[in-house]
Amino acid sequence: MRKITVALAGNANVGKSVIFNNLTGLHQHIGNWPGKTVEKAEGTLYHEGYTIDVIDLPGIYSFSTFSMEELISREYISKEKPDVVINVIDATNLERNLYFTLQLLELGRPMIIALNQMDLAEKKEMHINIKKLQKILGVPVIPVIATRGKGIHELVNETIRLVKRGCKKPEIKYGMEVEKEIQKIIKSLDKIESDYPKRFLAIKLLEGDDEIKKMVERVYPKILKIAETDAKKLESVHGHSRFSIMASERYDVANEIFNDCVSLGPTKVRFSDKLDEITTHDIWGYLIMILSTLSLFYVIFAFGSFLSDILVNSFTRFQYIFEQFFGTGIISNLAWGVIEGMIAGITIVLPYIFPFYLILGLLEDSGYLSRIAFLMDNIMHKIGLHGKAFIPLMLGYGCNVPACLGCRIMETPRERLIAIFVTTLIPCAAVTTVILGLVGKYVGLGWAFLLYAIDLIIVFILGRIAFKVLPGEPTELIMEMNPYRIPHLKTVAKQAWFRIKDFIYIAFPFIIIFSLLIKILDITNLSVSIENILKPITVDWLGLPVFSGIALISGILRKELTLITLASHGGTTNFSMILTPVQMIVFSLVTMLYIPCIATVAVLVKEIGWKKATFITVFKIVFAIFIGGIAFRLLTLLL
Amino acid sequence: MSEKSMKLTDLKKGQKGIIVSILGGHRAIQKLTDMGLTYDTEFKIEKKGYLCPVEISIRGSKLALGYGIAAKIIVKVKE
Repeated sequence: MRKITVALAGNANVGKSVIFNNLTGLHQHIGNWPGKTVEKAEGTLYHEGYTIDVIDLPGIYSFSTFSMEELISREYISKEKPDVVINVIDATNLERNLYFTLQLLELGRPMIIALNQMDLAEKKEMHINIKKLQKILGVPVIPVIATRGKGIHELVNETIRLVKRGCKKPEIKYGMEVEKEIQKIIKSLDKIESDYPKRFLAIKLLEGDDEIKKMVERVYPKILKIAETDAKKLESVHGHSRFSIMASERYDVANEIFNDCVSLGPTKVRFSDKLDEITTHDIWGYLIMILSTLSLFYVIFAFGSFLSDILVNSFTRFQYIFEQFFGTGIISNLAWGVIEGMIAGITIVLPYIFPFYLILGLLEDSGYLSRIAFLMDNIMHKIGLHGKAFIPLMLGYGCNVPACLGCRIMETPRERLIAIFVTTLIPCAAVTTVILGLVGKYVGLGWAFLLYAIDLIIVFILGRIAFKVLPGEPTELIMEMNPYRIPHLKTVAKQAWFRIKDFIYIAFPFIIIFSLLIKILDITNLSVSIENILKPITVDWLGLPVFSGIALISGILRKELTLITLASHGGTTNFSMILTPVQMIVFSLVTMLYIPCIATVAVLVKEIGWKKATFITVFKIVFAIFIGGIAFRLLTLLL
Repeated sequence: MSEKSMKLTDLKKGQKGIIVSILGGHRAIQKLTDMGLTYDTEFKIEKKGYLCPVEISIRGSKLALGYGIAAKIIVKVKE
């Protein structure tokens, strides 16, 4: 069987993932690029005796090296050399999309353009002359309506045709002066061996691309000098910074193509424009944001706890049956520990994480998430992050796991780290169970809310400190505000499902091992000695009862287990009999701030590596104990 | 067209302008020009709130720009 590799490339929000799903169906896998925390979606399709591997590259606007996504994409295309690159273009936003198309052409791989969202373009009265576009660009252009599956078949056929027939290298010429310098540099590049085409290298040298400069300097430093003088020359001719010359050239060409191929009808104010106006309004925008996020959380939380209860109940019944069969010996006890770990995992994933991914995906696809980022930009700047960072923070209130993974929307590793750090300080749904079930129920709702307020202050202060301490410049928000659209449920649901699978592989081993550990502590009666070891902290410093030690440890598995263990070791579910109000507040405060749950730790390790994950974990434990002790002393004076 | 250059953030909602230059280093210039804010390009201020960033329409789509970076963009007003 013949094999073809196809890469999907294009801007963000052009319907790339819908096309990817249409192409590959259920034969897909979402993982990471080797050694990078950038998502890699791969899939396979079989057609007319061909096995076609499809790689969905990240959505990007350019091939500079300022983000991991951009670097990965250009390295993949030039080193792995996919047989065909399918450039997905949003027909309603042609000019901006063509800017990226031109850069793809610079990489010189065989290419097909999928002109997506043709239906929306027609609605907008944009009439695109496809034949002309095809002629100018020198590559096949296929009109597509991905959400209705139109044009997908043609895309596959064209891919196979292109591989069979081969194609001449398309090339777009830029302005005369620039083109002259490019040719000059190309000539001097004779001796350079590289995966990148010479023309691409020449253009990047003119642009002053750091990565390419370094590469060329190693082999042949003289060329660098030639390119630098050429760039300086162009700079003086154009009168603008050299970093902008190529961008200007490309946009000039894109604009020309746009004017040649598109005829525009009268513009109308559409419903999505009105919706945009009101959801980013100075007053209404914030009100809508608060109301929609609160109701969203309520729904997820209500549904989650409902489903979680059902699952836990049925598993408890299963435990009874299990013990009937295998008895309660050590081996069966340990085996149950493993099962319990799996149960803990499932009761996090199914009721909470999956709905979260689903709803987040829908919000993202519809365009509302970028409005939230827009509204929160100035506020988030206070902790040195821009508006997009608010999204993982918000998610954190549901579950820290998708929230930490959500920090990938931040552009630089530094910002990812700060965002992840503050996200782990947000009380998730499980912590809310503890706060409401203990402080809310027995001390008063006011005190429960005070805990949330204190948490926000801590997030703000620690976020600011992290921002000051970590070296590097803050990144400013530059974000495309795509028009609202109806999300594509099938694609979103599939993505959520494949991400969950990925999560299960990372987190379940951690969860199961920890669950087993707790079981061993229980069986060997080590839990008593651990309680005693922890006594100086729990009893002397935090003012908590002795049995709270083991409760806090079991909370690492799932934070609401702190309550359950408290009840089982305290011998009652009426917590007012075993804890004083001050103890309840301190206990909840520590639970809220100390070590992230084991699933979150697993994600931390994956996202930022062992060292930083350990640092955050240890810091949080020490910090929680410190704050808890202070709270204990203050509260004893007050209450 | 008035000849006076000013910061993009000095423009009011609904005003149109033309990009004159971008202050800042390699990164800022490359990122903004990649997003279509090249010189002599016309844009319109779509939104400018108290808490939000500036929103402009340029090259047929809308962009949100944080205040810090928007203040680095030097423009001329187009009447």
